[in-house]
Amino acid sequence: MHPSDGTLRRWLDEPVAIEAATRQHLAACSRCAGRLGRIGADASRAAVLLAVPAPAADVEAARARFARTEGTAQLNAPGVRSGRVPAPARRSAVRAQRVMVGVAIAATASVVVVVTGASQDFLSLFQPEQLAPVPVTIADVRSLSGLTSYGNVHADGSLHLQPEPNAAAAGQAAGVAVPVIHHVPSGASASPSYAVVAGGVVSFTFDATLARAAAARAGGDLPPMPKGLDGSTLTVSIAPAVVISYGFDAASLYQGGSLPTGNEAFVVVASRTPTVSTTGVTMRQLEAYLLSVPGIPAEVASELRALGNPEQTVPVPIPIDLASASTVSINGAPGLLIGDSTQLGSVVVWTHNGVVDAVAGTLSSSEALGVARSVH
Amino acid sequence: MPTGFERLFIEEYPRIAAIAGRVLADQAAAEDVAQEVFLDLHRRFGDDPGANAPAWLRAAAVHTALNTIRARHRRAARELRYTDGGDAGRDPEAALEAAETGRLVRAALARIPRRHAAVLALRYSGLSYTEMASALGVGVNTVGTRLRRAEARLRKEVGDASL
Repeated sequence: MHPSDGTLRRWLDEPVAIEAATRQHLAACSRCAGRLGRIGADASRAAVLLAVPAPAADVEAARARFARTEGTAQLNAPGVRSGRVPAPARRSAVRAQRVMVGVAIAATASVVVVVTGASQDFLSLFQPEQLAPVPVTIADVRSLSGLTSYGNVHADGSLHLQPEPNAAAAGQAAGVAVPVIHHVPSGASASPSYAVVAGGVVSFTFDATLARAAAARAGGDLPPMPKGLDGSTLTVSIAPAVVISYGFDAASLYQGGSLPTGNEAFVVVASRTPTVSTTGVTMRQLEAYLLSVPGIPAEVASELRALGNPEQTVPVPIPIDLASASTVSINGAPGLLIGDSTQLGSVVVWTHNGVVDAVAGTLSSSEALGVARSVH
Repeated sequence: MPTGFERLFIEEYPRIAAIAGRVLADQAAAEDVAQEVFLDLHRRFGDDPGANAPAWLRAAAVHTALNTIRARHRRAARELRYTDGGDAGRDPEAALEAAETGRLVRAALARIPRRHAAVLALRYSGLSYTEMASALGVGVNTVGTRLRRAEARLRKEVGDASL
């Protein structure tokens, strides 16, 4: 049975909250893929239409203003009532916790996907050493996977998580030094489980005929092409990643298991940075051209143009409707803190010596930074 | 020792202002709404409003902001005032287009069913589906359906306005 529009809409935002059987259906059903495309397009457009300048509320000033107003009000109308806000008609704390973890894991997967350069990825990656936040919507990320409109994408590998019995086995399977976490926040389980995400190779071959048709559908013409662009190939080699999960088992979750319902849960991820090669044109030429073609969301394009040197910088997508990002230093290495403005969790991602690390979970910003800075 | 209300204020104020800002596209007006709903909460429930207060505040913020925008919509001459002055550095033509799109979006939010406008404002302020369900007093399965319909309706209302 095909899932409802409401379920498809939620899948765009909170895929882990959708039942495993439904996720399997969506992976195989072309009719639902078409519906998802339409729903995603409307969601993407709504996100752009409803975008507003980043809020900059000054809480201290707001408290002072509130105190002045409430002080005056109490003089005029003494007798503030007391009591508790009644429970809403429907509420499920357990469900809330499941969703929090689901969103945190989805955020981690998003970072891993991009840092390791999977398929949405006109993003240029040359074993870069810097990270830069790029505001996107989740629907944007999905629409960007429509790079197939401009060429042929071939992916070899998947994000399947393979459980491993211990750190040594995970390190051996992934070919990366397993991070050692010296600080686990109180409230989180102290005994982690280990898994490895297999690596793979993703390639994109530019096709002028497809690109011309895509541009026409977007209502524009292709800009003049640099010599060698048609048929040029971008190849991203993705390294395996170690996933260490506390408070839940990431591997069993992805195999349809249940999410935790209680304490804090988080993951620590480590992977070697991807390597990138191109034929025909340089990476910069390819990126510059793709950013100029009709159909690329304007906000994403302008942010990417602002990155500076694309061969040194990894764009990390930050869902504009969920979170905000700030730069941080993790034991001297450059990193990004994807803030808990959502109150759903926090993500810290940093890069050092050819390795990308991330911490994500139902943690406050300070807790996530504490974990990140304890990793050696 | 801060009271429960003070902790709630510190933790929730930025988000409440952001929800109102999503509707109004005006930081000062959004903060007015945030102050109003915290004041209302405090007067009703005092210093220890309990665990359900965040959902109450979020619902109050979105509805108060929608009330504001609907009143403003009836005074169309004033609309340009809240179509955002945050892009002073951009070129004038782009700023004009953004202002026009902002005006169309605010007008659409004032026109479409309130349940649709509310779910849009909450979703794009970063609430999870569970949080939206709590704030809106509906089941979590209803949220996705309502959001889908709201986004389709917004597309129809705003049409092909340039972005």
